[in-house]
This record gives sequence, C-alpha cells and structure tokens, in this order.
Amino acid sequence: MNAVEIDGLTYTYPGAAQPTLRNISLQIEQGDFLAVVGNNGCGKSTLCKVLNGLIPHFITGEMEGKAVVGGLDTRKSEVAVLARKVGYVYQDFENQIVRPTVLDDASYSCLNYAFPDYLDRGRDALELCGLKGREEDYVWQLSGGQTHLLALAGAVSLQPDILILDEPIAQLDPMHADRIYEVLRNLNENHGKTIVVIEHHTEYIADYCKHVLLMKDGRVRWMLPTDEALQRVGELEECNIFPPQVTQAAYALRERGALPVDIPLPTTVEGGRAAFANLAYVPPASQYTDPAPGETTVSFRDVSLAYRSVKGEPRTVFEGLDLDIHKGERIALIGSNGAGKSTLMKLMVGLLKPNAGTVSLLGEAIGEKRAEDLSRQISLVYQNPEEMFIKDSIRGDIAYAMEVRGIPDWQMRTDALLSRFRLTELQNRDGRLLSGGQMRRASLAIGIALDPEVLLLDEPTANLDIATRREIMAVLTDMKDIVQTVVIATHDMQLVCQWADRIVVLQDGKVVADGPRDQVFSDRKTTQQVGIRPPEIFTMARALDERALCYTIEEFLDRFQEG
Amino acid sequence: MNRLSKKLSENILDKFSMDFLRNQVLKNAYGNDDTIIAGLDPRILLAWYLFFGLVPWFVNDIPFLMGCFLLVMVTTLLARVAGLVLFLFALGVFTQTGYLFLATLLFGGDASAVAPLLILTLKVATISLASVTVFSGLDPDKLSNGLMWYGCPERLSFSISYAYRMLPMLMEEFQNVLLSYRLRGNPPAHKTLGGKIKYLIYQVKIIMQSFYPLMLNTAKRSRTTVEALELRGYRYAAVNQSVKKIKLAALKVSCNDGIFLAVSLLVVAVSVLISTLL
Repeated sequence: MNAVEIDGLTYTYPGAAQPTLRNISLQIEQGDFLAVVGNNGCGKSTLCKVLNGLIPHFITGEMEGKAVVGGLDTRKSEVAVLARKVGYVYQDFENQIVRPTVLDDASYSCLNYAFPDYLDRGRDALELCGLKGREEDYVWQLSGGQTHLLALAGAVSLQPDILILDEPIAQLDPMHADRIYEVLRNLNENHGKTIVVIEHHTEYIADYCKHVLLMKDGRVRWMLPTDEALQRVGELEECNIFPPQVTQAAYALRERGALPVDIPLPTTVEGGRAAFANLAYVPPASQYTDPAPGETTVSFRDVSLAYRSVKGEPRTVFEGLDLDIHKGERIALIGSNGAGKSTLMKLMVGLLKPNAGTVSLLGEAIGEKRAEDLSRQISLVYQNPEEMFIKDSIRGDIAYAMEVRGIPDWQMRTDALLSRFRLTELQNRDGRLLSGGQMRRASLAIGIALDPEVLLLDEPTANLDIATRREIMAVLTDMKDIVQTVVIATHDMQLVCQWADRIVVLQDGKVVADGPRDQVFSDRKTTQQVGIRPPEIFTMARALDERALCYTIEEFLDRFQEG
Repeated sequence: MNRLSKKLSENILDKFSMDFLRNQVLKNAYGNDDTIIAGLDPRILLAWYLFFGLVPWFVNDIPFLMGCFLLVMVTTLLARVAGLVLFLFALGVFTQTGYLFLATLLFGGDASAVAPLLILTLKVATISLASVTVFSGLDPDKLSNGLMWYGCPERLSFSISYAYRMLPMLMEEFQNVLLSYRLRGNPPAHKTLGGKIKYLIYQVKIIMQSFYPLMLNTAKRSRTTVEALELRGYRYAAVNQSVKKIKLAALKVSCNDGIFLAVSLLVVAVSVLISTLL
C-alpha cells in the first residue's frame, strides 16, 4: 500500500493570483525515506501541509484534486484524525513546543487526544528520539539539537505512519544533525515509518534518503531513487540544489573527459574512493606562507564568565580565557552549539561583562569605553536578523545609527549602502517581510553602517538555502575592502574554508585549536574530539591521499589529475 | 563614598537587566518545585488561599491578623519565593499604606495613627503574602490544574501555563531588540544630573519603542505555534470531557496536605484564642 497518493492536486493560497501547487500527482510508498528538494518558493512546504490536512482545513484557499494519506482522504477527514497518521516538525521547531517540561511536551498531543496512557507514550517517544533521561528537564535547558528532537518526539508520540520534517538540520551543528538523521533512520528502518524531509543538504540526502522528489514552480519534475537523482547535476543546479561535493567534482571531471561517461557518478566519499581510484595527487608548487600578524585589535586576558541559572550553581562559560585578534584577520569561530561562540561575541561588544579579567579593544578595556565610541569601533550582526530591525523600513534601520549620531551626509551614505547591498528597490519594506537572503543582506548593511574596525557576524549563513548561502558568501568576500577585521561564528565549514584565514576552535569555553585551515583541519584528533566536520571534498581528498588538503572543488580538480 | 557614587551612577538598565528579570521570572515559576509548598495539592492550596485571601479583609482584630501574617510569612519562606517578587511585595505594601503614615506625620498627626495603619498594613501584607505563596509557590501547571478542578474553563488554565512557557522567549526577544538600540543608538551623555535625567527619559523612550519590533517578531513566530496547536489537538481536547478527567486524575491529596491544613488551623485558632483572652 502507498502511504501517500496524490492525484491532480492544484492549490491556490487565499488571495494569491497564481496557484502554488500545479497538477501534482505522486505516490509515496509505505516505508520510504523521501527527500523533497527544490527552489525557495517552489511549493515544498505547501505540499507537506496538504499531507497533514492543514490545507484545506486550517488554511483555506482553492484546492482541486485529491490527496489520500494512510488511506484517508484529507479533504474528508479532520485535522485531528490526520494528525494521528502524519506527524509534522516545522522548520522553526522551537515555536512548536508549547509545554514547559520535556515529558509534558512529548505527551501533550496524546493527552489532548485522550489516551489514558499518555505519559507512557510520551516516554516511549522520548526514548525513540534519544531524549531518555531528560524527561523532567525544562524545555529551555535543552540545546537547539535536543529541542528539535523534542519536537520530533512530540510528533512521534502519536505513533503516526508518516513523519514530515521541514529542513530539520538547518540550524544545527554537524554532530546534532547526524543525531537527528540517525534517529530518523531508526524510525524508518526499525519502526516502519515513512519519512519525508524537505532538505537541501545533499550530503545527508545521499547518506540517508531512499528517494528524491524534485519540485519546480509548483510542479513535480521527477521522483527518483537517490543515486539516480543525484546524477542529474545539471537539472539540480538549475533549481539551485547542489549535489554532494564528491558528485560535483566527478561531474566536472567527466566534463573534462577524465572520467568515463558510462559509469554513474559517486555520491558519497565511499563511492568516490572507487570512482577516483585512477587519479593521482599532484602536490602544490609553492607552500603558502603566513604573513606576520598585524597589531592587536581585540584581546582577552584571563577572562572568566558565568551565567546565572534558574536553579543551582551559575553555569561557567569561560575560565581564564586568553585570545588575541589582530588587525586585518578574517577569523572563523567554530565549535558545537553551546561552546561559547555567541557569548564571546557579546563580550567583545560589551553586552556582557566578564566576572574577572579584561576584554580590550584597540588597547582600551571595553568596560571603560563610552558606548558611543564602542559602536563605531565594533559591530555585531545577530544570528536572527529580525532582531536587528527596529524601524519600520530597512532604509530607516540602516540609517538609524548614522542619523542619531548626526553623521554628515548620512542620507547619501544610506543610499550608497542600499545600492551596495542591492536593497534600493526594497528600501521602504519592513525587514521582517523580506526573504531570508534579503534579510541577511540588510542586517550586514546595518552592521557596517558606522564603518566599524571590527565586524562580528553570528551564524551569517544559518537557515539559508545553498543558493542564498553562496550569495552571502560572495557579499562577505566583497566586503573585504570595507571592514578590516571580521570574526564569524559558524557551523558552515564551506564558509570557513573558503573565507577564513584563521580558525579558532572553541570547546566548553576553551580554545582547543587556533591557526590557519591546514593546521586545524589536518589535525584529526582535535577535529574528532570537537566534532568538526570538514567539507566533504576535503575528506574525499584525504581519503585518496593523506597529504592532500583541498577545501574547494576547484582545488580538488587542480590537485588530482589522471595518473 | 567613591564606591557609593559609582554604584549610584550605574543605570537602571544595567542593574535591572532583562537577563535578570527573565531569570527571576523563571525562578519564580519553576525554580522552586522541590519546596514543601510546591508539593502540596493545588486544590487544597487554593482553598487555603480562599480563606487567607478573603477573611483578613473583614477582621480588624490585631492578634488575629498578626497570627495570620506570621503564618503566611512562614509559608512564603517555605515557598522560597524569588527576590524580585518579595521586593515588589515590599514596594506594594509601602505604596499602599506606608506613605499614609508619613503623610500623617507630615500634616501634624502623631503616633496614634500607628494602630489603624498597622491594621491596614497587616491586612494588605497578609493577603499579598498568601497570594505570593500560592501563585509563585506552585508551578503554573499545578496551579492551572487546580483551577480547572474548581471548574475554571480549560482555556484559562492553558493560557496560564502557556504564558509562562512564552514569557522567557518574549523576554529574550525583548532583550535582543533592546540590545539593538543599545548597540546602534546614541544615548545622551550622563555625567551630570541633568544628563542623568535625560538619559533616564531616553531609556524609557527606547523601552517603549522596542515594543513595536517585539510585537511584530512575536506575531511572526506565533503563526507556527497556532498551526502546531491545531495539529497537536488543542482544539480537540477543549471540547472533550475525558481529557479533563485524565488531567485531573493526576491530582492527589497527601499526608503533607493534612499537616499543612492542620497547622494553619492551629495558628488561626491560637490567634483567635489570644484575642479573646486579651
């Protein structure tokens, strides 16, 4: 039996001129692990909301055609009945959690549907999702990854046949992302659940999914087994989906004639080992040498910091931290969720005061500085750009800091910034209503409005699809001439490898590695201990030749040639 | 002296940061679930509150009020109420009655005003502390279950626990918006007294302006929450009586509840006895 059968589905949101879904027909088999991919706005999320009956019962609009889920016609069944067939985890999953404690939240749906054994069901779901032992914790004590697992447990507790997850790992570090997918695999293989993920991390698709469904402009382009789907590099790239780096490299090699056309492209490192077996490593001609570091811009001396906690002892974030940041450096700050990256940034802009030790900027302790001077010297762009929008238009937001300081020509400077970040057309819109990429660009423009010496960016590429991520990376590279020193806190290793010239690795509030990328990534012990995952192409290159340190596909293609 | 003036010159936002507020709210709601008070049955506690929240209004007998006051003071201590709440309580009592005493003295009254004011103060204090014990000693879920048992609509009790769930998030959001202003704004210099007043006005203005982005951000978030509640059967449960039964099945009266009621009764009885003896 098929878990989902959709026939001739067309759907238009209320008030929209164009339908979002156009004549969709598809079948999802029971026990499938399906990845739905496609451009932003191609109707992926809308399709998933048809499956759980939110469309058309909760979100009205015009719906034609038929969707049958687990044998139920979605149009004829209530949301409450469908909810027991289909579990849904949102992209902004933290807003899906409505109860204060973990067990409470996991069992909440079961309680609402009047299962007398609701607590047991909640406990079972928590165990399946790897949250056993955290039952009595409060939801705000959980890390991002654990919160996602809790949202998943809430959906699993009703024992649905189908689970839908909207971009499950967009905000997570690689370790937590692996955990989510391991849990999903277990649910799929050992509990017979059908899993549907909206996902653009093709490395994860290659490792875990059985089928891929490509959507474009509200239509289904095709649905194919994963191996076959990822071969279609051209079609995927057309929709801004980038296949795993191994596949991309193989594709480029094939174009060059270095790989035979008739064998399938590899999609994983394992597959790459065989496919690239006849390539030989060519060491680079000259070794890159470090320029001497410039003058010290920010320095941490013996800094300790502890947070108040709701119960018990304060939580120590840093103890005796020493770190120097030099002029002209591009630093990537990496480490798992909760390692202290954001806290470090807040210390630099004076939002947090250390309990002991000093943080100084341009030779002066931050505590002694006037707020006005500080904001001209250093600037912080938050992870969540919404929180930077304090005016009702992005023009107002970009101008605000210059305007209140009475900077001469602030009008002209605002215009210049707007055009530099390609926001002129949007200047009168409220920042919150922009797309993800536009919001990021606006927040970057706000961040550099005062021409700071140091710019701090917290997760600038989180929650973005790959195309937008590339766009933001280009903007960051483009900014090199405006801001001298930039520090980025991120999980995005491609960004780290392509952009940073120094990498600082934090773990439990300590600097465990610090240096250029070759030094940090070639140190297997540290990367494993901290859970850093280099880009796939790097792993691929080292699997072929231990000496090879390739960070981009281009470097890989240069270093490996037909032997 | 130098230190004192430095202390005074630290502004309200630094001392009274959102971080601190958030921490206190959470502490108040969930930080004391292991106290004796938190272990009591919410129904018993609500009935207890009905007595100590109402009766003092109608009695003017000082020993009785004193007895009640001492009792609720002990329960407040047992509930380990957060510091901020106690501070607000003290401030509240003072603004209710304390200033009256000062005004009486100022306009030529004498110490004879103490007795009537003491009665009023004791009443207000007893009732406030009883409220503090019940509403901050119990965690919001127990409280809402108790209310539901007494027939309050399910939506009210859900709102209480949901508000507590949301508060930390709201405050975090608010804190971040405020930080945006702090990072990008240009506060007036505040070395002189005039400057300090200007600075205070500036801060109040910023707090008010922060509400606009806060509301919009919250509205954006709540879209998911509303859909999720629908999927998780919230509306379904609201009309289903068996859900209510399952929820209330968790309530249990224990030995501690008996002791708690007995001690309260004893204190009241003793204070009534003293007042008749006097």
